[in-house]
Amino acid sequence: MALEKARSLARLNIFTSLASEISQSLTPIAIKDNIATKLLPTTCSSYALSNYISPFQATVIDLLEDEFTVVGKTNMDEFGMGASTTFSHYGPTLNPMYPNERRICGGSSGGSAAAVAAGIVPVALGTDTGGSVRQPASYTGILGFKPTYGRISRWGVVAYAQSLDTVGILGKDVDIIEKVFTKLDKHDPKDPTSLGVELRSRFDSKHGNNKKLRIGVPEEYVLGFDPKVSKAWQQCLEALSQDHEIVPVSVPLIKKTLAMYFTLAPAEASSNLGRYDGIRYGTRSDSDKDYYAKTRSEGFGEEVKRRIILGNYNLSSDSYKNHFLKAKLLRRALKQQFDEVFNQPNYVTGSDPNANGVDFLLTPTTVGQAPTIEDYDAQSSTHGYTQDVLTIPASLAGIPAISFPWEVEGAKIGLQLMGQCGDDYNLLRITQETMSLNT
Amino acid sequence: MIRQSTLKRSFSTTPQLYNKKFRPLAEYPLMCGLEIHSQLKTPHKLFSLSETSFHEDPNTKISYFDAALPGTQPTLNPEALLLALRAAVALGSSVNLDSTFDRKHYFYGDQPMGYQITQHYNPYAKGGSVKLWKRDGISEDEKTIRIEQIQLEQDTGKSVYVETEGESYSKIDLNRTNVPLIEMVTKPDFTHPDEVKVFIKKFQNLLRYMDICSGDLETGAMRVDVNVSIRGGERVELKNLSTTSAVISAIKYEYKRQIGLVEKGEAVVQETRGWDGKKTVRLRTKEDALDYRYMPDPELPPMLLSDEIVGQLKAEMPQTPDQVLESLLSTPYNLSLKDATILTYNLDLLMYYRMLFDVSVNAHGIDPRTPGNWLIHELLGTFSRNDLPFDPGYIPLVSLINLMKAVQDDFISNYSAKLLLQHLFNNKEETMRDLREVIEDYGLRKLTDAEVSSEELTAVCNKIIGEQQNTVKSIKKGKVNGLNFLVGQAMRATQGTIDANVFETEFKQLLDVE
Repeated sequence: MALEKARSLARLNIFTSLASEISQSLTPIAIKDNIATKLLPTTCSSYALSNYISPFQATVIDLLEDEFTVVGKTNMDEFGMGASTTFSHYGPTLNPMYPNERRICGGSSGGSAAAVAAGIVPVALGTDTGGSVRQPASYTGILGFKPTYGRISRWGVVAYAQSLDTVGILGKDVDIIEKVFTKLDKHDPKDPTSLGVELRSRFDSKHGNNKKLRIGVPEEYVLGFDPKVSKAWQQCLEALSQDHEIVPVSVPLIKKTLAMYFTLAPAEASSNLGRYDGIRYGTRSDSDKDYYAKTRSEGFGEEVKRRIILGNYNLSSDSYKNHFLKAKLLRRALKQQFDEVFNQPNYVTGSDPNANGVDFLLTPTTVGQAPTIEDYDAQSSTHGYTQDVLTIPASLAGIPAISFPWEVEGAKIGLQLMGQCGDDYNLLRITQETMSLNT
Repeated sequence: MIRQSTLKRSFSTTPQLYNKKFRPLAEYPLMCGLEIHSQLKTPHKLFSLSETSFHEDPNTKISYFDAALPGTQPTLNPEALLLALRAAVALGSSVNLDSTFDRKHYFYGDQPMGYQITQHYNPYAKGGSVKLWKRDGISEDEKTIRIEQIQLEQDTGKSVYVETEGESYSKIDLNRTNVPLIEMVTKPDFTHPDEVKVFIKKFQNLLRYMDICSGDLETGAMRVDVNVSIRGGERVELKNLSTTSAVISAIKYEYKRQIGLVEKGEAVVQETRGWDGKKTVRLRTKEDALDYRYMPDPELPPMLLSDEIVGQLKAEMPQTPDQVLESLLSTPYNLSLKDATILTYNLDLLMYYRMLFDVSVNAHGIDPRTPGNWLIHELLGTFSRNDLPFDPGYIPLVSLINLMKAVQDDFISNYSAKLLLQHLFNNKEETMRDLREVIEDYGLRKLTDAEVSSEELTAVCNKIIGEQQNTVKSIKKGKVNGLNFLVGQAMRATQGTIDANVFETEFKQLLDVE
């Protein structure tokens, strides 16, 4: 079923490769093409890896194999760099929510979002570095969950910026997301950033017996939104206020998060992508015998090259202290500011809870709805960078965040709930409850 | 004109000249610092569980991580950390309980990730020192070489350059990739190449004692880079120095080259130079120096150490070579500096000596000077003459002890015992037999007075007197030392079976001297 549907929707360009057959007894799942699989290629939607088949598979695939069957690998922005799934060697993926239009589905996990939104699979894996799961979920009207950093193994997940990269789950409802998350929520000794067993045992503590929660609204998130986005946010807050308390809060450093992100992430990316020299694997220019500048020039797309150059600049000896180091320090301060907002302790940073803090934060996921490919292409590359403005703060802080659809005036608008580190299951529960209020 | 001719000389000098006595000029003080990379003797690599190996087929000892496959991650191997810490403790460095890893970026075919994981910003050890003494071979009474820092890092792979007709290319072997290294950086405290030579020798020996590194420069297990400058001028870094003598020759050459530049009125430029066996040659200048774009590794956690670890390692620390040398020079060993130094630089020999001393002196009451003499002068000498390295299993300890005991008991003369040792060395199987039986079989037993016939004795001595007329003449003129020579000849003729005193008395009588 899933395979036939995937083939029939080929015009959406969701997959970079499809399985030749899948098990009928297992639940179909789509996997973003930067997660290593042994049977299908792992291309990261890059020409540099267009023929690459990994000799090993990611831990997440190991953990899912007994209940899920991989339908195919999904299209993405090359190496996760982008918010549109248009920066792909395989061309853009079209948004299934708009069958008669050519709209972007967001990114970089756009293929995974589209596979769920088109009804090919009930659930898909993506990766989220600055919003790459939540933003496409928002644009395609589904749920996109980025758990606490370090909770899901990254072994076999091709790095874009490891200090931020998080495997995320895109699904049609909370139940399936929780089911997959429960399977993946394991310590992995192969991943040096995987959270320890002892630490995990303290996560997801009860939020007290009081069912009345405090939901925070960060003032820094009040931006110029599309009117439907504002309306959805407002409606949702009103609905929640029946049983819970809505509290205005402030995380002042959120205003600096775009700058932090675009200093740190490209720096890490420029380092991580150094290995694609065509010597041991991947695309290699024939004429390139002694050097590999040509291999790298031809292997990477324009957006990746832009970020490599930016990253190298940020790491150069002249700007390391002024840019990279400052961004790193600001990121630490941002985590502290988030810790001060929550009434839950942060077991990862060791911060105490703020008794007057909030349980969760509610914001929109994106400032607007999915633009057409034409409009998107007409905009400058830096405009693309601002698309992650609402999702980047949770990435930098390493806290769990989820985008869920809220229907208003016939449109599905993505709203975002964020929680304290390690509060993932509670976050899924409040998401379930919130979505039930959307009547 | 005069100036020019001076210059000409300094540039045309052959490298041989530098091997003559080297004296730094007072007006151009030499300043030198070392960076030494040492491969740690761990069974596994630094961030993966592939085996370390040095003689395997290319690219057979690599993991997915070593080959930098997409999606792989590093996991720190604590074996390497332990050895690295042992080095820090042995050098008296202060251990950083919260050190971090950084990435050093550059493109090279044998650098698969495009970066090396090292410790640039926050290394695991800082400070410490190595003391050099006059007895080690420097001109000053003592000198302290201070250590700047030690960092734990990965080795790179190897490039093998192949040139065939019409084609040249590199082959890449990743077996060495990710092998753990420590890089030790000294302050620029060296003022004479002799100090560098002594330092390298002592540092190699220290790491061997601590079982941290094989210390071999020839195999690349240890690699030495040098910074050279004169009179506070720019530093020149010397790389690709594969032996200690290359290091010393390169420093001497570079020192003279820099003086030549200054005397010509030119500036020494900051650059990296290599050594081609005769001269230093430019590899790159500061202008084309690489910007390594150091970045704290975003996925490796800091190495958090318990503050008890240093004390624990100190308690487990074996003696340092300096401590061993001290002990050998003092009671009960009382070895000469020369012999003590030989033992200090050969761990196998040292262990053999200690056991030999313990059993022969403590259990059998042999003179404390005897074990050193027999081991170093006789046994080790025999190995050297046969061009073999010392092998502790070759002559069993018990054979050497029995031999020394036979001499002590006057069962065999010292002279015959030396002959017997040669015999045992050449006929190893005889070491399995009872030593006194062997002595009897070869007629090497010392004869008692009753067993020596006086006619025979006189005949032997007369024969020698007849052969050695020159010596006899000088003895008669009063040079009594000549007697010892005659006695030696007699001993040789009788294979040492007759006591030297017996011969001496006989000679005196025959030659009629006192």
